[in-house]
Amino acid sequence: MDEYPAGSLDHSIPYLLTLGTRTGTPYDSGLSAALKEQAVLIRSELPPLESDQAQALLRYIQDRDASQIPCNGRDASERKYRFRIKSAERSLLLPPRRARLPEGIESPPPSAVLHSPYSPLSPISSLYPDGLIDTQWIRKHQDLVPAVLLCCYTLTSDPSLATLCDNQIKTDVNNIRALLSQSGYKTRLAVVLLSDHVSPSSSIDGVQDRLEIIRRGCGLDSKALFLVPSSNSQEELERVAENMLTTLYVVSVEYYRDLGRHSRKKRGRGIVPQPTIPPTSGTSQTLSLAGWNVRYDFKSAVFAEFRLEMDVALRSYEQAYENLLSSELMELIPSWNPRWNEARFLADVIAVRCLRCLLWNAQHSAAARRWLSHRERIADFVDRRGRGTNNYGWEAWEARWAIVMADLIDKIDIPELFPVTLKLYLPPEKSIMGERLQPWELLHHPGYWYRLAAKHLQARKAFAHSIPEDDRRSPSDSPASHVAKSAFTYDTYMCPDPYEEYPLGRQGVNHAKMITDCLMRARAEFLKRRQTRYAAEVSLECARELAMADDWQGVLELLRPMWKELSFRAEGWIAIAEEINWALRTAAAEVGDAESVLLADWELLSRDFAKRPNWHYDITRSLEDVTLTSKPNVSIRDGQLVSFMSASFLFQSEEGKAGQNVRGQLSIKSNAHLGSAPVVLSTVYLSFDGSLDGIILRHHDNGRTALQSQGKAALATVSLTRQADGDGSQPAAPAEISSGVTLVGSADLTLRPGQALVFNMQIPLREPGETRVDSLTVNVGSETFDLRQSLTFQERGNTNLWYISPSNTKYVAHPQPLVVRVLPRPPKMEVRCPAWKEQYYTDEPMDLEFEVENGEDIEALAKLDVVLFGEKPPLFTTSIPEHEDQTSSSIRSEETRISGAPMGTIGSLKSLTVRIRLPPIERSSRYDLTLKVTYFLPTNPGTPISQTAVFQLNVVNPFEANYDFLPRVHPDPWPSLFDPDNIALPITSDSDDVTPQPPSGISQAWSLVTRYASFASEPLRVTDVDIVIQPSATSRCATTTKYTNIPTSGAGRLVNPKTIEEATFDLSAQKLTVDDRSHAPLDISLIIKWTRADTPTNPAALTTTTPNTTSLPIPRFTLFGTEPRVLASVTHRRRRGGGSGSPPTSATTTTTPSAPAIPLITLTITIENASNHFLTFGLAMEPSEAFAFSGPKLTTASLLPVSRRAVEYRLLPFDLAAAAAAGGDGRVDGWWIRPGLVVRDKYFQKVLRVIAAGEGVRGGKEGFEVWVPRF
Amino acid sequence: MATAIPSIACLGVIGRNNNPLHTSIFPSYDASNNSFHPVRTPLQFSLILSSTLDVFELRSRQNTAAGVGLTGDFGLLHAVDDRLAAYGFETNTGTRFVVIVDMRGRRIDGALAAGLDGRDKRLAGAAAGLREGEMRPVFKAMQLAYVKLLQNPFFDPDEHSPPAGQGGAKITNKKFAADMRRIGEAWTPGITNL
Repeated sequence: MDEYPAGSLDHSIPYLLTLGTRTGTPYDSGLSAALKEQAVLIRSELPPLESDQAQALLRYIQDRDASQIPCNGRDASERKYRFRIKSAERSLLLPPRRARLPEGIESPPPSAVLHSPYSPLSPISSLYPDGLIDTQWIRKHQDLVPAVLLCCYTLTSDPSLATLCDNQIKTDVNNIRALLSQSGYKTRLAVVLLSDHVSPSSSIDGVQDRLEIIRRGCGLDSKALFLVPSSNSQEELERVAENMLTTLYVVSVEYYRDLGRHSRKKRGRGIVPQPTIPPTSGTSQTLSLAGWNVRYDFKSAVFAEFRLEMDVALRSYEQAYENLLSSELMELIPSWNPRWNEARFLADVIAVRCLRCLLWNAQHSAAARRWLSHRERIADFVDRRGRGTNNYGWEAWEARWAIVMADLIDKIDIPELFPVTLKLYLPPEKSIMGERLQPWELLHHPGYWYRLAAKHLQARKAFAHSIPEDDRRSPSDSPASHVAKSAFTYDTYMCPDPYEEYPLGRQGVNHAKMITDCLMRARAEFLKRRQTRYAAEVSLECARELAMADDWQGVLELLRPMWKELSFRAEGWIAIAEEINWALRTAAAEVGDAESVLLADWELLSRDFAKRPNWHYDITRSLEDVTLTSKPNVSIRDGQLVSFMSASFLFQSEEGKAGQNVRGQLSIKSNAHLGSAPVVLSTVYLSFDGSLDGIILRHHDNGRTALQSQGKAALATVSLTRQADGDGSQPAAPAEISSGVTLVGSADLTLRPGQALVFNMQIPLREPGETRVDSLTVNVGSETFDLRQSLTFQERGNTNLWYISPSNTKYVAHPQPLVVRVLPRPPKMEVRCPAWKEQYYTDEPMDLEFEVENGEDIEALAKLDVVLFGEKPPLFTTSIPEHEDQTSSSIRSEETRISGAPMGTIGSLKSLTVRIRLPPIERSSRYDLTLKVTYFLPTNPGTPISQTAVFQLNVVNPFEANYDFLPRVHPDPWPSLFDPDNIALPITSDSDDVTPQPPSGISQAWSLVTRYASFASEPLRVTDVDIVIQPSATSRCATTTKYTNIPTSGAGRLVNPKTIEEATFDLSAQKLTVDDRSHAPLDISLIIKWTRADTPTNPAALTTTTPNTTSLPIPRFTLFGTEPRVLASVTHRRRRGGGSGSPPTSATTTTTPSAPAIPLITLTITIENASNHFLTFGLAMEPSEAFAFSGPKLTTASLLPVSRRAVEYRLLPFDLAAAAAAGGDGRVDGWWIRPGLVVRDKYFQKVLRVIAAGEGVRGGKEGFEVWVPRF
Repeated sequence: MATAIPSIACLGVIGRNNNPLHTSIFPSYDASNNSFHPVRTPLQFSLILSSTLDVFELRSRQNTAAGVGLTGDFGLLHAVDDRLAAYGFETNTGTRFVVIVDMRGRRIDGALAAGLDGRDKRLAGAAAGLREGEMRPVFKAMQLAYVKLLQNPFFDPDEHSPPAGQGGAKITNKKFAADMRRIGEAWTPGITNL
């Protein structure tokens, strides 16, 4: 907008001029020199006011100047007036109404009418004779001729001077009025009187009268005289001033309405006024009627704009515009004529004013459309009538036209487009909502317009640069013919000639400056609306322009922040990132910003970017063409740029133990351009997140042999050595992470493009917890620079590839490949029990021997805790060499323990024997024996390490037994009840109770058969079996004989598990007295003495080791009783040879195999009557087919009280045939026969059971049976 | 008299992570030498596409605040200049389609148009501009093509727009590219089905 002459495009607002106040700055009439001498001088004779009040008023009025406020009708209700304010002290100049004739004209015709100097009719006007209208005219109304002239005077309060002063005012005003009317302008005159009253003591009427007098004296309207009272308050002053200005605004609008009416009247006349002097030069053409109409329309439009009647103004402007571009006007002007450019200029001015009217009315899309249509029409016009649109002049205009729009939008100040709304464009207004719209017709914010302007400026530059050299020469150097030729080839509307636009040998128009200015303004607008990417695009364009202008510093300033912050790279707009990179690199190399050069070069190595041919792609050479002041040190964050390197790490196992090593594989992959120089990494620092040490790998050139470099990867196994902090000869690791201990290894770190460096490492784990690989820092160093790139590891489950060889990988299933879980250091103290047995037995003292072995590298100070846990655990004793024995204490019923028994220091790889002794346990039970060794290593005395060993102690009963208690016939005769010896003397029983009386009661014989079995898991050696009989008060019982299969040597018998052994005891019992015939209980326990089988078997040794004694209680038996018993016993005798029979088990001993014989069996039935009654029994023996018998077939036996009697039968079993039939085969040892003997109590008529009492007889369901052995 | 009518200059598909997935560039009519070639270089189109992301961000914020724009059709994003304009559409998975229209990309010969049937006449009349929903068929067609692509079992959407993270691979599917080409070439103002 600035390129247009001042005032041509400004919004027209009423002009108010104050006169008579001291301003400090002289009044500039703004008239040209030529007009100045003809100007009308209007002068006030009174001195200018200097009072504070006057100054305040003036300042207030000047502050209300509306020429800079936004042109819109939004706050019309608040803003009651708009004035352009100017101030003059005492005099002002008005342009002449009638221009004088120029000097050269000799004889003016008498009829010559003088016209305004701004009219094409006046010869002195630049428009003479056929110009349309120019800026001068607009400026006349805007700057020169005020609508209102406000004169300021003091209203003196001094009564003595009042009349004099008032008269002076009257004279002065009248004087000015006269001058004004002489000048021909209809400027309204207004007077403001500033009262200098100190106090409002004088009557108001007096003042009112004076005012009235002055008003009348001056011939002023009542609306044109104002009084400012002398109050000191600013508010009062402001109120009065506001009132005054509002009133004056109405007056000024009236003034412009008069002017508008005047021009409409002139247009309505429809005649072409004649110039003062007919033109004699040029074509002698005068302005046509159409031209006059344009002029009049334009004038009325401007006056309407003064009145803020924008609709009226728009109509008039459009009319003027249409007429101007019609076939009668512009089409007729030849393009070589200067009037051509003037007409174009006028068209521009009208179009801009149209746009402003449209925007004022919030018709934004209409404005955009108007903008486009003006461009189209002018383009069409220039193409047809002018010099075409393919030249720099047209592009210059296009750019200007876009900037005008941007400026207009700024001026109009559309709230909907404010940056805070974040709107990029306005929706179309309702009236054209449904129409087909060009997207550009939706009014975009100024940024877009500036950008458009920049584009046209670039085109202008391109056109300018293609001007042939001949045309670029200054005309003074060129042959005249050439000048003439080129004069009409270029469109120079509002832009310089080609030899100025792009002169040879010197600076012409600074295109770059113009373009970058536009772009930077656009960028600012975009940034305000958070269009960062678009702003970046503009910046990039700007940078390109700056680069062409060799403003490398500017490029760098523009691109560096962009390079650092923008998201193009991360979001994958590689082409854009690449463009920025190259631009930055070039600029940085020119400026000498080594850091930026390095960064850009580093990034450009990546194969993601297109490869630029003939570029070295060698990071070590990147600073070749840069002048260095110091050695640059660059560090790159991960993700800061597209790195051609990527790193991955994989722990081979998910967990490891502290103090052990874990295998890890680090791979660094290069994605550099193929053919780029290999990058030699000086060091690689791997840092961990947990307790792990950092690892530094140093480059080592000779490592090539160890490196299996073939194919896509180079695999190396790196051995790490510990390096404490402080002796770091090379502080290669970043300072913040070089604390603590680091592990150092060396390898060949040459990274070839497309290759991967893979390192296998054994990483020692130190402390328990989770350890994660944190980051990798790669250092590249050379003589010229240091570069550090940090990389983080990507954790993706599907990329756990472990390099087995350079070409082979395997997948490692590892959900978190970057993490290793470090378990606590395993204790290396071992607790063993070499002689631990599966089972221990009851009644056996246990002596357990444990070995505690220190497997640590160094000695350890240890303590022992022993806990025995189970049901009623026994107390136990622990003995540790060189320490006192300790006995456990019972804390709870199910636990006994020894806590913290000192064990002393155990040397490395030494062991210590601990014995734990438990007393014999009676019941079978199960215990947990826990040994916990807690120890401290001198290297780490704060951390206790403990090893726990749990042993399960099974205590079982080694034996179980069952018993048979069989009655026998006691051989001794019973005492007689009737024998006086047997009667216990009641007298003696009193006194001599102490003296043991030999038992004299009835006696019985019994046989106890015990069968015991070993339930141990191993054979046990039984050394003796015995029974213990509990003594009884009423009877005496003793073992008479004992039958066991235990050798008498004392060596015992080895009893295998689960085999049944038998032992028989014959018992004889006797009541102490005869009188006592009650039941007597018998309590016996079986005693088994045994040792473990592995104890030595020689008797000598056996005696030294005390055998264990297991006592098995036998259920109680009952002896005696008063019931009569019938006991059957047999004796066998050979028929030939004789001799008593043997029990079946031993019968075979005397068998003669050649002559089997039937024995003779004597069956003795003993009837015992232990009662006090006389009993009679009937015995009946039934004959049987199985045997023959001799003895009473039917007999009666009478028994006295406490007596017994035997009846004998001799049985002879029948032949073997029957026996064979009974036995089923001929090889039987004998058979059973059942004698049908019935013993009946005669008195009670009760059949008594016959009880088997002895070998060879057994009881059965249907009676007792007798064994017939075969001899 | 020859009349310029709008045509598609570029179709872009942008992933959820603001990463470019696909770009198709179409030639425009060049009046100066009466030939067809793209109005911008691929880099410039890249820049234009990426600049639409700003608008998507702004607009989605405004849409969320106002509770509108549920269809995903963002309409005109902005006019890049007096010739190119960018229209946008966002699927509910965050994939964005951008159409860059060249308002003077095709030419209808006025003399020919006079003799042609109604449709082309209408086209000639439509040359002035575009109605509001005129890009909808294009987006519909693009979405259809994209859905077809997603139905391809060998196409892994996560590879192209990783759910957590940045960037993503471009779409290399030939059929998708062919679809885009067909859409870009077939569209003319007023067309309702592609």
